[in-house]
This record gives sequence, structure tokens and C-alpha cells, in this order.
Amino acid sequence: MARNGWSRYPRRHFYLFVGPWVAGFLFLTAAPLLYAFAVSLTNFDGSSPRWRWIGFRNYVELFGDQAAQAALVRTIGYTAMVVPLSVAGSLGLAMLLNRRLKAVGFWRTVFFLPSIVPMVATAIMWKLILNRDSGIMNAVLGVAGIRPISWLVDPVAFYALVILTLWGLGGGMVIMLAALQGVPAELEEAARVDGASRWSVFRHVTLPMISPVVYFQVITGVITTLQIVIQPLLLAETSSISTVGQVPQSTRLYMVQVYQDFFLHNRFGYGSAMLWVFFLVILAFTLLVQRSSRLWVHYEVDSDADR
Amino acid sequence: MDIGKTRPIAAARTATGRGTLRGPRRPRPGNGAAYVLLMALSVVFAGPFLWLLLAALKTREEWVAVPGSVLPDQVQWSNFTQALTDVNFAAYAMNSLFLSTTYAFLITLSSAAVGFGFARLRAPGKRAMFLVVLSTMMLPQVLTILPTYVMFSRLGLVNTYWPWVLWGLAASPYLVFLFRQFFAAIPRELEDAAIIDGCGWPRIFVRIFLPLSRPVLITAFLLSFTWSWGDYIAPALLLDVDHTTLSVAITSWYKDPHGNGIPTVQAAAATLYIMPVLLIFFFAQRHFVRSVVGSAVKG
Repeated sequence: MARNGWSRYPRRHFYLFVGPWVAGFLFLTAAPLLYAFAVSLTNFDGSSPRWRWIGFRNYVELFGDQAAQAALVRTIGYTAMVVPLSVAGSLGLAMLLNRRLKAVGFWRTVFFLPSIVPMVATAIMWKLILNRDSGIMNAVLGVAGIRPISWLVDPVAFYALVILTLWGLGGGMVIMLAALQGVPAELEEAARVDGASRWSVFRHVTLPMISPVVYFQVITGVITTLQIVIQPLLLAETSSISTVGQVPQSTRLYMVQVYQDFFLHNRFGYGSAMLWVFFLVILAFTLLVQRSSRLWVHYEVDSDADR
Repeated sequence: MDIGKTRPIAAARTATGRGTLRGPRRPRPGNGAAYVLLMALSVVFAGPFLWLLLAALKTREEWVAVPGSVLPDQVQWSNFTQALTDVNFAAYAMNSLFLSTTYAFLITLSSAAVGFGFARLRAPGKRAMFLVVLSTMMLPQVLTILPTYVMFSRLGLVNTYWPWVLWGLAASPYLVFLFRQFFAAIPRELEDAAIIDGCGWPRIFVRIFLPLSRPVLITAFLLSFTWSWGDYIAPALLLDVDHTTLSVAITSWYKDPHGNGIPTVQAAAATLYIMPVLLIFFFAQRHFVRSVVGSAVKG
């Protein structure tokens, strides 16, 4: 390679360019995680200098912590509900828009826009809509003869959170739409000519073709949904980190529980242990989804995958 | 992770064929029902914006009245003036603007540099490092922010904007990926000529590749600006009342003397708060669509 001492690719240049990311990864991602692990072995309370090592006692306690376990189960249930709904919903919207319609751009904008609104504003909007006495949701339901529902308190708050999350599925819709338009029209037409019904064309041609994108949606959906924390925090009556204790029981997801242990009980060591256990849980779920992908994700061989 | 090796071909195709997001292909019967459905769905998706604006234009008495009315009896702009004066709106807006601009500027440049390294340069360990980049994309900030907060508070970085500078310098895996895809598609001849002229890689990057990547630079800047503008957790944890951003200020600080929230004024504040994001979106919609689509096309 380095004839005459010259090389087209001097190593140090690669490291120079990639350096910012390496430093960032080491100091802003790896270091906090390792630091959290160290803290999880102590009884640190966030401020006092009088902390000591207590080994794995936090982890042992966590295994008997019923509130944390309930929160974990709730979080998994929430994810199992929201991810399929939002993947199916975004695919459905995309299929609706993937046909000859007037003003497709307008409809697409309407559905996509909510996904870029900051969560703080989204929460404010939905609190106005779901307000028991003044919100329009109950007013509309009232016309149908349904008595006012207290959306933001137990046990309905859980569904309020689901609605709020699903409102932002437009980002997924745009991805699905792009995927659908990448399916060669000839394939679908050939199947139609051969007498396949519209459903079986979708099931046996379209869906396999877009399955890599659906897979991407599912995996990112699972990871981000498991970690949801600010949505329940902001949807609560008093939205702030210091009042995290007032988040309704039904929306007390795992990360909310972690925040409570940090900022309500000042148990930084215990909270850090919770973070690490959750880190492993998320990893396990990611691997699970990835394993399952062999059964339902269809890849075409693509030779220039490693450019 | 497997995603580094295989590539969703359907998505890859849309990423290369440009402007494919419009394309209907053949007429279909039954569009009448589709329009009805679209109309109904639009109410659900656009309704919250409208309801927010309506709440911002009502008096507080009108808002709590039972039964309430949909439209305000008389349009109340006073909620907006109150939103601007009840809390120091301008100061928090400046904080948000300063912090988001700094962050977006830095992270765009650092991600461009890192993306360039992965796309055009070679050294041992590159493949493994890129796999780590892809996997950190799967590890959102929520998990690391708490220990980061504890670390930063021990380092005395709380109540300063240094964390945003550091995050900005550290590049975002997501944007790195965006830039890598773009730079990898540029023909080699372009750099060959510069190398023959004795130009080093840093200069090739700054003089040739950066100017070429203007659309991606704009996308990355706008995207990271809106991330930071909309971020709640980091400012809530790291910044005090004087330094914090608009997102924290509007969540719970609009209160009457009894300590009860004033929804109408908060609605006005939220309307003002989302304006920059909506403006950016309407002027640069194609950038947003492209970046979102690009994210699904994992290399």
C-alpha cells in the first residue's frame, strides 16, 4: 500500500475525522452507562458525600420490588399495544395515500405534521382535548350520549397515553409510503393478471416486499416505546420532574418509576440499578425481535450492501 | 446487529429514485370512500391544532363554562400578551434559540465530518466502529440522561450550556448515517483530481465535499434544531429557572395567584412555542420527509 511512504488513506486522517464521534461515544454514552453501574453499587442519594459501596444489594432489592415489577409489566403491555397499532396504522394510512388521489401532498402533510410537534406542545394539546369538563372529546362523546370520562386520571389515563402516542404515527407513515412506492408495479400487476385477489396480492407480494421496512419500524418502535417517560410526565395534572410522584398509577411506566426513585426518593444508587436492569431488558427485547425477523422479513440479495 | 449487513431493497430503491413520494400509478375505483375516510382522519390529526388555537382565543371563564361552546364568543388576543408577560417569554425564547442554534450548528458539522470519514476514508477498525454507530442509534438519550445529569452536576456543568456544546461536538449517529449515505454516493474522480494536486483530506472535505452536501447540511441543521427546541428532559434536569428553555417554561409556569394553571394562557404560549417548528416544517418539508425516509434505509 504505502509505496514510497505515500498512502492514499493515511490512517490518522480517518481517526481525525471520526474522532468527534469516538470521543462522544466514550465520554457521553459509555461513561454515563459505566458510571451508572458504579453508582448502582452504592447507596448514593444524589447530594450527601456520605455514601458507601453496598455491592449488589440494590439489585437484590429490585427483584423483590413489586412496584417496579408492576411498572415493567405495565410498560411491556403498553408497548405490546402501541407498537402493533402504530405500525398497522401507519401502514394503513400509507396504503390509503398510495393511490390516485387529489391533493396527496396535502393529506400527507396533515398526517405527518403531528409527528414533528414537540412533545411538550403535544401534551398540552391533548390535555386541552381530554379535559373532563372543557375538552372537546367529552363534548363529542356527550352528543352520542356517553357520560363525561375523566381521561387524565386512573384508570383511563393509560388510554389517553395510547391516543397521544398514536397521534404521532405520521413519521412512520411517510416511511411506509416510501416503501410502498418502491414495490415494482409490475409485480403486483402480474399477480393480478394471474387472478390473485387484492388481499392476496397485498399478503403475498406487497407485504413481503416492504417487510424490511416494517421490521425497522417494529424494532425502533419497541425500543423507543419501552423507554417512554416524558409523555406520562407531561400528561399528568402537574407536569414537571419534581412532581413525578403525581403521575397516575396507570401511566406509571418503568422509566417513570426510575425518575421517582431518583428525584422523589433521592435513591440514585437504586435508580441506577433499575436503569441497568432495564438496559438489559431492552437488549433482550431487541434480540427477540431480531430473531423473529428471520421468520417474516424478506430480503432480496443486494450485492452492493457493503460499499 | 444484522441491519448493517443486509439492506431493505424496497426502501433503497425509493431513496435513490427521487420524488417518488408523489407517484400514484393507476386509477382505481372507489376513491369516493377514500376521500370520506381521509376527511374523517384529518379531523383527528388536525383537530388538536385547531382546539389549541381556539382555547388560546377564549377567556378563562368561557373555557371552564359548562356547557362550553366550540368557538370563542369574542376573540381574546389578551391571552397572547399575557403569555408573553406572565413568564419572561422573550428571555426563555432567547435561551431556546441560542441553545438550539449552537447545538444544531455544531452537531451538523461534526456529523458531516464523521460521516465523511466513514464514507471516504479507510483505516483498521472502521467496520466495527460503524456497527457501533448503528447500534447507538438504537439507544435513545432517555437511558443515559440520568447518569449524565449526575456526572455533569459533579463536574459543575449544571446551569451552563456546555452540555449542549459537548453533545453538539460529539456528532449524532443518526446524522452521521445521513451524511455517510450522501458522501458515499459521490464519484471518486472528484477527489482523485484534488489528491493529484496535492490536496490533503481535510481540505478535500472542506473545499469539495461540504459545498456539495448543502441540501444535507440544511436537513441536518433543521432537524437537530427542532430536536433541541422540543427537548424537555435535558433542560429540565440541567438548567435552573434563569437558564432554562421555553419547553420547560410553558409546561407548568402559567399560574394564577392561587397556584392553579391557566389553560387558555398556556394554550397561547404553546401556540407561539410551536410556531418556529411549523414554519421550519412548511418551508423545508421535503428535507424532513427525506430525512425520515433515509432513517429507514439502514445501510
